[in-house]
Amino acid sequence: MAVRVEPRRQAAPLAAEIGSVVRSLDYVLVAAVAALVAYGLWVLSSVSRNDVPGDPDYFLFRQSINVALGTIGLAVVTYVNPEIYRRLRKPLYLGLLAALVFVFVFAEAVRGTRRWIDIGFFQLQPSELGKVVVILVLASFLAECARRLGEWRTTLTAVGLVALPGVLVFLQPDFGTAIIYAVVVAAGLFVAGTRWTHLAALALSAAGLAAAVLWVLPSAGVQILHRYQVERLTGFLNPDLDPSGATYNVTQSITAVGSGGLDGRGVAGATQTNMNYLPEHTTDFIFSALAEQRGFLGASLLLVLYAVVVWRGVKTIALAPSLHTAVIAAACVAALVFQVFVNIGMTIGIAPVTGIPLPFVSYGGSSMIASFALVGLLQAVHVRGRLAGRS
Amino acid sequence: MSSLPGFLPPDPGVEGPYRVTPQMAIRIAIIGIVAIALFAALFFRLWALQVISGERYLEEARNNQIRTFRAPAPRGAIIDRNGRLLVTNKPGTLVQLWPAALLELTPEKRRTMFRRLGDLLNLPQKELAAALRRGKADPLTPVTVKEGVHDEKVMYLQEHQAKFPGVQVTDTHLRRYTETGIGAQILGYVSEISPEQLVERTDKGYAAGDRIGQAGVEASFDRYLRGVAGEGDVRVDALGQVTSEPKFSQHPEAGYSVRLTIDTELQRAAEEAVEYGIRLAHEDGEWAANGGAIVAMDPNTGEVLALASNPTFDPSIYVGRVQPNELKRLADPTANHPTLNRAVGGLYPPGSTFKPVTALAALQEGFLSPTESLQCEPSITVGEDNQVFRNWDPYRNEPMELTKAIALSCDTYFYQVALEAYERPDSPIQRWARRFGFGTASGVGIGPEGDGLIPTLAWRRRTFKGIDRIWTSGDSVQLGIGQGDVLVTPIQMARFYALLANGGKLVEPSLVKQIEQPSTEGNAAVVIRPFAPPKPRDLGLDPAAIRFIQEGLYDATHASYGTATDVFGDFPRPIAGKTGTAEKYVELPGYKGLRDQSWWCGFGPYGDDPELVVCAVIENGGHGGVAAAPAALKVFEKYFGVEPGSYSSGTVESD
Repeated sequence: MAVRVEPRRQAAPLAAEIGSVVRSLDYVLVAAVAALVAYGLWVLSSVSRNDVPGDPDYFLFRQSINVALGTIGLAVVTYVNPEIYRRLRKPLYLGLLAALVFVFVFAEAVRGTRRWIDIGFFQLQPSELGKVVVILVLASFLAECARRLGEWRTTLTAVGLVALPGVLVFLQPDFGTAIIYAVVVAAGLFVAGTRWTHLAALALSAAGLAAAVLWVLPSAGVQILHRYQVERLTGFLNPDLDPSGATYNVTQSITAVGSGGLDGRGVAGATQTNMNYLPEHTTDFIFSALAEQRGFLGASLLLVLYAVVVWRGVKTIALAPSLHTAVIAAACVAALVFQVFVNIGMTIGIAPVTGIPLPFVSYGGSSMIASFALVGLLQAVHVRGRLAGRS
Repeated sequence: MSSLPGFLPPDPGVEGPYRVTPQMAIRIAIIGIVAIALFAALFFRLWALQVISGERYLEEARNNQIRTFRAPAPRGAIIDRNGRLLVTNKPGTLVQLWPAALLELTPEKRRTMFRRLGDLLNLPQKELAAALRRGKADPLTPVTVKEGVHDEKVMYLQEHQAKFPGVQVTDTHLRRYTETGIGAQILGYVSEISPEQLVERTDKGYAAGDRIGQAGVEASFDRYLRGVAGEGDVRVDALGQVTSEPKFSQHPEAGYSVRLTIDTELQRAAEEAVEYGIRLAHEDGEWAANGGAIVAMDPNTGEVLALASNPTFDPSIYVGRVQPNELKRLADPTANHPTLNRAVGGLYPPGSTFKPVTALAALQEGFLSPTESLQCEPSITVGEDNQVFRNWDPYRNEPMELTKAIALSCDTYFYQVALEAYERPDSPIQRWARRFGFGTASGVGIGPEGDGLIPTLAWRRRTFKGIDRIWTSGDSVQLGIGQGDVLVTPIQMARFYALLANGGKLVEPSLVKQIEQPSTEGNAAVVIRPFAPPKPRDLGLDPAAIRFIQEGLYDATHASYGTATDVFGDFPRPIAGKTGTAEKYVELPGYKGLRDQSWWCGFGPYGDDPELVVCAVIENGGHGGVAAAPAALKVFEKYFGVEPGSYSSGTVESD
């Protein structure tokens, strides 16, 4: 007690600290993510082989760079003590808002939406990285208000805190990512211990809002969403209604998935993918391409890998050393589960078409880096939990 | 605690130690359970799609990329009796939309593309949008939006495919009319099969988008002309662009040629003759003359050598994209129905050209003797109501025999014959008229053909109420000179005059000689199906009776008192025939009333070997000798190769 060992510990070389972090990593999660990334690259390389004439590895090469960037991000996020983010919550939040306003005002519209900031070699999509920032800001806020979690003010402020960037993202318009923000706030509040009555009230208002946007207001002549957005969102409920219109993509995707059968049609035989019936087969609908080429076995393998990631994530929530880190872990898990479910669900007709990419598999830098960051946060929480003596 | 705590590690006094409470554990467990549920949903849905229904979707995916297509066969040619081409094909292009590919585009992109395509092809965007709507029900079948586009524009389309997603250009065959404007109503035209026609013909190998003959020979002989459309499949990508060579399950087979009995040169002469007749009528003050028809026929076989109908039209307006205003012009009442083939479908009272029917019936029935003289009076009074019927020539009053009565077309002579017929119980004139082919379509093979009308008591009973249901002696008198209710078509008339020319045999008119496989390099043409004219039916008429009528017809064109002597008298070949001036109630723009229909029917050379029957009618053309007879003469001139002006000929105002 009287012996002060602090100075010596502070003097401990960086290598030793890294060593302790590395020893406390969740290696099952490492292995699962590594397998996912490798599988994703393999799938991308086989579905994009004919997309760029004369350069079969165009997508593979670029995605590999994304993976490398993501791995660096993963390492950094894993090493950084999540407590630091509590101090940085303000600049983080303002930085996110600034970036979102910037894209909204200045970015050039690509295919009707303003999502990207062009930084030379890279098209940065702030809303993707915004997921991570929103998680950190939310967790910090809830940790600050740990004693007032039962109050309405806390709940509503948390919702408002996320809603502000969420609305900016929604206006881009990027409906899918905005929904992820909502899922993040729901999971955060849930794990932080918000009252059930609050949660129920939020769920009811969310349902009311959805009904208003999709049904009540349009019938009164007020269009919040574009018509095509409404059709995509509701189209999956009855895909045969208009097989050539709004649900054409989904119909083609289901055909692609179904035609894969048990063991797939192989790379050359996957006609839905090769002949461009499948839209966006490197990004939003890459799962359909995978399912067509590799069949039920290949698709299930991917699901199993995601399930392992989620299993480790849920374990990490329990392992978290603080409310702050528990909220971070829960929000990361929720974001990953939601993205996987909505993306794959969209390709097989059980979820609306929202344009959410498949984590670690869909082609795209921002999404890849964001997914790595989410896993990095889970690792960081895991490491701090282990170091704090939890097991 | 301030709202902005210092950026320091948590103060245990503020936050308290963190523990996983049972409450918390439950919530974490709920997150896990929700995740498991979502993954289970994905897993089972995948199982259902891939393992349970995999075969079905595999089939769908295969059908997705293979599209069956239909390649139009080159349509057979239509040639005249001498093998001269009348209708053939020229290469054309179709610009088509793929609904499936277009529906995939965003509405803005689609609009941009429609604007671009519309500007290029000069089509209203509304029409393109309408075409897309039509195709929505069957998005994998292309919809044709333009046919026979100008070549440069097609080249532009093909070179700038990327700018026109969902648009394809395919080759097709378009009709080409080699003898401009000749025989429009005979040849007919071709256009896309209508939904109603498709319903009637699906089991005969027709499919949506096929082109089908819509009138004339094109319609009646469509099954020979159309050939067999090619069928096959081709791999296409999602934009409808073909990615493989087409694989034919059925190669397109060209249609057969149809060889007509028509002689192009005689047809041209006949068409010009009708116009000439109309012109003569106008010169004579018959301002209302506005149409007509000529039938030229071989009296021994019934083969139709010329079949003119006026006004006419240019069938090439149906080639390519049809201009709606051109169709409207055809349908306009002032155009006087140019698509109607008056030679087979025009119904006219025959007037005096019908007198030989009356005479022949009376001779056959024995209530008229050819050597018996009847008084040709200025008028006779008939029936209980003392109806007065006049002769066209009020100054003639003398007895005469049949031949002279025919030659100078004495009405009162035939009134008396008709009154005799009226006294008989079995309507002899009508009975014989029907046996001569009146009252039913001639069966020449192209339509729409008119039946005509031979009025009888039974017909009056069927058609009218009250007083008009009675057949009076006046009705018989009218019928005797081809007036009243009787209606005939020019081809029925020609058929009857063929019978007079050939000595009493009723021919079956025919327009098509045979169906042939056209000659190709090294192979001669092969006759697929001959349509030999059926042997003329001998009606068993008294040859003497026919002779008397022939003589009457010859006198009509050669005797000093003949009604058309001024026209035919000096013609180097002997022509025999009868004029007719038939009153008909007509409704013209700004005029309603009775107008004279100008007729002439006859044959030549007079004698044992007649070669040509000509029957001409000029609508509202006035006297037979003014318009129809000189028009018919033009056809004989052409047929016999007689130079116009090498003999003297005029017109004559006579019945």
